[in-house]
Amino acid sequence: MSEHVRQALAVFEKSLDRRLLAALEVCARCGICAESCHVFAAEPDFRNAPAAKAEAVRRFYRRLHDPIGRWFPWWVGAKDLTEADLEELAEIAFGACTLCRRCTMNCPMGVDTALIMRAARAMLTAVGKAPEMLAQLADAAIAREENLEFFREFYIDQIRELERELQEQTGDPDARIPVEKVGAEILYVALSGAHTILPAAILFHAVGADWTLSLFEAANYGYFLADLQRAKAIARRIVDEARRLGVKEIILAECGHAYTVLRWEAPNWFDDFPFRVRSIIEAAAEWIQQGRLPLDPSANPEPVTYHDSCNLGRNGGLLEEPRVILRAVVQDFREMTPNRAENFCCGGGAGLVAVPEWYEKRMRAGRRKVEQIRQTGARIVVASCDNCRLQLGDLSEYYGLGVRVSGLMDLVVNAYLAARVKAAVPAVPARVHAGEPV
Amino acid sequence: MEVKADLTLDLKGLLCPMPVVKINQAIKNVPIGGIIEAYATDPGVMADIPAWCRSTGNELVTIEKQDKVIRFVVRRLK
Repeated sequence: MSEHVRQALAVFEKSLDRRLLAALEVCARCGICAESCHVFAAEPDFRNAPAAKAEAVRRFYRRLHDPIGRWFPWWVGAKDLTEADLEELAEIAFGACTLCRRCTMNCPMGVDTALIMRAARAMLTAVGKAPEMLAQLADAAIAREENLEFFREFYIDQIRELERELQEQTGDPDARIPVEKVGAEILYVALSGAHTILPAAILFHAVGADWTLSLFEAANYGYFLADLQRAKAIARRIVDEARRLGVKEIILAECGHAYTVLRWEAPNWFDDFPFRVRSIIEAAAEWIQQGRLPLDPSANPEPVTYHDSCNLGRNGGLLEEPRVILRAVVQDFREMTPNRAENFCCGGGAGLVAVPEWYEKRMRAGRRKVEQIRQTGARIVVASCDNCRLQLGDLSEYYGLGVRVSGLMDLVVNAYLAARVKAAVPAVPARVHAGEPV
Repeated sequence: MEVKADLTLDLKGLLCPMPVVKINQAIKNVPIGGIIEAYATDPGVMADIPAWCRSTGNELVTIEKQDKVIRFVVRRLK
């Protein structure tokens, strides 16, 4: 047994909790999962069926833990894990499964294949067989905090420039993008870059929210690696910042996996977690329902469809909020079929879009999504996740779909700014704090 | 800062994390000590590229804003 295999198996043994044991044990080999998988739907080869992918883990699990597998491995298809198996496992766990959990939803036994693939990812990361790019992006995020004094200057400089754009767009010379504001009610955690900061800043300004922008980005590549230590280190930067500033709520930019990490995982990772965590989608839907955002849907006249991100929708429960928003901000909203929890993954999730060598693989995996979009006849595809947006843009180009890919907040801002022009809403709205009756 | 680049990249229009992904791909195509000069428009690179250089042990020679375009120069050290 090589050192790599020994290390990988040690990580596997550590992750063997009851949930993983159940996922490994209860598969009835019915094959229903196959048709639920977007990879299989695009390439109907039995090796692409979730049960077949999980078999790469079950084989060595049975060798180690099944009484028959220990003595008569050939009888139950048990096999020792080898170095060559680790290479194959990397292709499967990182390259052929986006952890979307559509197979789990459709499995009569509820087998969580994504959990098995995450266990495989953790093993592979521990022995250096995870995609180099994902590891580098995770380490760069950690380096950002370790050298915060160095980055702060760059960051604030960038924000001041965005602030000027905010002032132009809102017509309010006093509009601000506060950073590190102690005592703010909301800590907004964006993604790297302007596209998730400016639309949110316009909306916070519109409702008079008491907010501050995080110094850190919401993305967490440690989570894609299934490396708990890296994932926690990246999340801790935000949690520590929220504690230091004394905020009541963390609002996240439109990002699928960041929502999973901070909404569902992080409260279990840290003892002191006294904040509410929401996506900006939830906040915007609430502002719309409270009538706090004047909106003119004629600003978005083209047919629009919505792609449910797996992390936000199926796995995060944000199914109706995006639809509340879309019905209010566009003129022609068309559902793709299937949708909501049954929506197909775009094929770029769980870090695939960041691995250049898997470009062709993810283009093939996105075929089912392309068919879904084409059937709607929409000209704009909205996705509330940067991973999905990158993949959908690439799919549109690759398959000649000719659609424009947009975030939800971009459309909300279009409708808001148009309504302001129409109704000549004053540039500086009355200050209303989040949660106060309107 | 004037430098003689071994490779020049146009990353304009790319959003996070693609500038970092492209630099990571490109750095393998220059020799150790070689220089990449890149132009991007996403302000996220102002934080992401220095962080990537720190975590991978490469040298950020310069990063500067030229109107709406960000120019940065990276030297491969490993």
